[in-house]
Amino acid sequence: MISNKFGIRIATSALALAVSYGAHAVTDEDIMNDHKTPGDIVSYGMGTQGQRYSIIEDLNTNNVKHLQPVWAFSFGSEKMRGQESQPLIKDGVMYVTASYSRVYAIDAKTGEEIWQYDARLPDGIMPCCDVVNRGVALYDDKVIFGTLDAKLVALNKDTGKPMWIKKVADYQAGYAITAAPLVVKGKVITGVSGGEFGIVGKVEAYDANTGELVWMRPTVEGHMGYVYEEGKAVENGISGGKAGQTWPGDMWKNGGAATWLGGTYDPDTNSLFFGTGNPAPWNSHLRPGDNLFSSSRVAINPDDGSIKWHFQTTPHDGWDYDGVNELISFDYKDKGKTVKAAATADRNGFFYVLNRENGDFIRGFPFVDKITWAEGLDPKTGRPIYTEGGRPGDPSAMDGSKGEVVVAQPAFLGGKNWMPMAYSQDTGLFYVPSNEWSMDIWNEPVSYKKGAAFLGAGFTIKPANDDYIGVLRAMDPKTGKEVWRYENTAPLWGGVMTTAGNLVFTGTPEGYLKAFDAKTGEELYKFNTGSGVVGTPVTWTMDGEQYVSVASGWGGAVPLWGGEVAKVVKDFNQGGMVWTFKLPKDRVASN
Amino acid sequence: MKTLSRIIVLMLFFQVVPAQEMDDGDPLLNRPADRTYDIILESGYLKVGVYENFPPYSYEVNGEPRGIDVEVGKQIAEAMGVEFKVHWIVPDENLGDDLRNNVWKGHYLAKRRLADVMMRVPYDKQYAYMQDSTGEYINEQVVLFGPYQQETWQIAFNPEKIDGVDTVAKFQYHPIGVEIDTLPDFYLSSGLQGRMRDQVRHYPNVREAFGAMQDGAVSAVMGMRAEIDHELGRPENNEFQFAGNGFPGIGKQVWDVGMAIKHTHRQLGYAIEAIIGDLVKSGDMQSLFAELGLRYSVPQYYREFLSEEALAKAEGRP
Repeated sequence: MISNKFGIRIATSALALAVSYGAHAVTDEDIMNDHKTPGDIVSYGMGTQGQRYSIIEDLNTNNVKHLQPVWAFSFGSEKMRGQESQPLIKDGVMYVTASYSRVYAIDAKTGEEIWQYDARLPDGIMPCCDVVNRGVALYDDKVIFGTLDAKLVALNKDTGKPMWIKKVADYQAGYAITAAPLVVKGKVITGVSGGEFGIVGKVEAYDANTGELVWMRPTVEGHMGYVYEEGKAVENGISGGKAGQTWPGDMWKNGGAATWLGGTYDPDTNSLFFGTGNPAPWNSHLRPGDNLFSSSRVAINPDDGSIKWHFQTTPHDGWDYDGVNELISFDYKDKGKTVKAAATADRNGFFYVLNRENGDFIRGFPFVDKITWAEGLDPKTGRPIYTEGGRPGDPSAMDGSKGEVVVAQPAFLGGKNWMPMAYSQDTGLFYVPSNEWSMDIWNEPVSYKKGAAFLGAGFTIKPANDDYIGVLRAMDPKTGKEVWRYENTAPLWGGVMTTAGNLVFTGTPEGYLKAFDAKTGEELYKFNTGSGVVGTPVTWTMDGEQYVSVASGWGGAVPLWGGEVAKVVKDFNQGGMVWTFKLPKDRVASN
Repeated sequence: MKTLSRIIVLMLFFQVVPAQEMDDGDPLLNRPADRTYDIILESGYLKVGVYENFPPYSYEVNGEPRGIDVEVGKQIAEAMGVEFKVHWIVPDENLGDDLRNNVWKGHYLAKRRLADVMMRVPYDKQYAYMQDSTGEYINEQVVLFGPYQQETWQIAFNPEKIDGVDTVAKFQYHPIGVEIDTLPDFYLSSGLQGRMRDQVRHYPNVREAFGAMQDGAVSAVMGMRAEIDHELGRPENNEFQFAGNGFPGIGKQVWDVGMAIKHTHRQLGYAIEAIIGDLVKSGDMQSLFAELGLRYSVPQYYREFLSEEALAKAEGRP
């Protein structure tokens, strides 16, 4: 056993050396092989499929207790809020973003800053969805990220100076970008965030070298997609074929379906997988129909932006169950045959396993303890079987008193929210950061908007249990069985990573970076970073040692909502740091 | 030419200055100034919060704030003997957000930026004393006071397309424009069991809905009465008319519009309340509306204690 481990260690160090003396530009090949190269992390998701699985074995269940902090870095200023970033590592440099559209290049060995870039945000900007940023993309000599005023910015990786800046959408119309971009075949692929002000979701591809728009694909039925040839827009088919099939009136024109969490890419099928947000307006009684492609996963051809297939998790959404959560590609064996699958844990509480070649539903099951809005999924199609009376009422049908309260579980913040889960190729399990909460929704007897009478809904989120909200779960995608669970007092809001050392890492709002045994769920390590962890951990090797890094800084959507959940989190202090740990060489073999 | 362009530049400069906003917050602690009544008088200006791009209430023309809420704000500042300063409000999803961002707390991206007083805040006791699920008063950080107008709903139509609007049922057959995500949007999209839904056309604001009526894309537009009055006063909308229909099923047919201040600044509120009371009762408020071509209704608040005669005076009736 020991000799085997040793052998791998030498191999990984050699590779790290090769990388540091090799080409310094990030290539398409580097990005496509990211999940196989322990010396760098050049994509959000630690590989474009988004598995967040590291092949590094040095750090394992026996020696994780010797993991020790080596440096911490402050993002500075007063902008201590919501650090949801995943760091990238290339040639000994860490590229990490912070809230308010800031980017840092840091010496990954020492924690010293190399450069910092603060996007100059316009006065009067009102981003819909907090001030977070989830990370950068790397390509060639560029560091590319999206800003709160809905621009893509490419910086020189050595100097931090802008090389190109492109406006993706109009922030005044309610658009923003908070997700990390994805680079596929030299194209930067991005989605957009947006509030309820009549936006239309879209996915766009830009030439990574020049910033020129290559194609754009709206994610609402009825809107034309385009490819751009020498600066000219060429029609490339209407999303869904034509308008008005699943929307009444002209509502498709402002249908929502924001692609705010970005996407993953599967090279096997040459497909981008993007999730889409809830439909607009929020009152589902105004828009009978499925409202495509809201609350869906959409497979897109990265070459021209055409839609290959879609799978809608919540047709005719009335609960604000955004369908943005990441779709992770993975293969498994069924009766000796390899199944090219993809999995997602939706806001609506169901875990879906799809055929990633055609979007067919393979199976689905709850990954939370209780779901009230649907009785289950149709075993053939995966379509939800709605519970009678489970849909929030129509505010237009009100008579001036507080409408009937509908209890829905999960709450609109989801069985799982934006925070990415991880898939272990060793255990075959998904590690899902989830939350157990419900919401009461009612129609407000009195509400106003912009000086006018309005019809609004009120809601409050409630923990489902007295002593915990967050649950980190190990789910078997073949059986739907929960293999183990770890319960956390506060809601979990950080991403997950798993490693070949049989470990699962995640952070908690209480401030801890924690490691668990991937097979049993036993908690093996914790370190308090000083503020809530809502970022996503990564691991890599440098000079023959394994490093782990995670951003720390409480914030994100949870503290924005009041009610009983606020009581659990109100004493957590905000922050803005990135913490880096390593397993010292001489501890690898220790127990 | 050079002189001329210099003059133009100067003119532009002077036009921009009055519209520029004060930053009187504390830069070190990044928090707003605590502007009580005395501090406002001492500072010599009053920051009046109004919604941006919202004709006829508040909007900008050549860098100058315009509109009825701006005029009322100027009257208040004048009566207090201080200078009027505009504080533009970017509307959020609901009134509670706007009050938080502009009256008592500040937006998290602009923590130093607060208005001394916010205009166009519905005056509604039920709203003011609303409680959340734990029994806390939701709006306890602000005082809603000083109703100065009563607002209601109105439809305008194109007589070349339809001969009149006896009832809203007409809009089962004729396209009607609304501002997206407003009560007219919800009302027409859900009323009559949804039978008008397919005829509802959505626009970012009432002005663009009227543009669509000029182009023939819609036969009518629904909005707030002052918005419709204002649009019908524009020459390009000459041929359009008021509809006389009712709005069965709308919970709030009329509502009073007043102001909001931070709850710790009540002395300011009393001073402004007195100024507004004089404006309303003297009929000067009605004149301000009339000058802008807007109909005026006295708030319900005054109807409960003013005599018929006093009401007639306030509404400019003989």
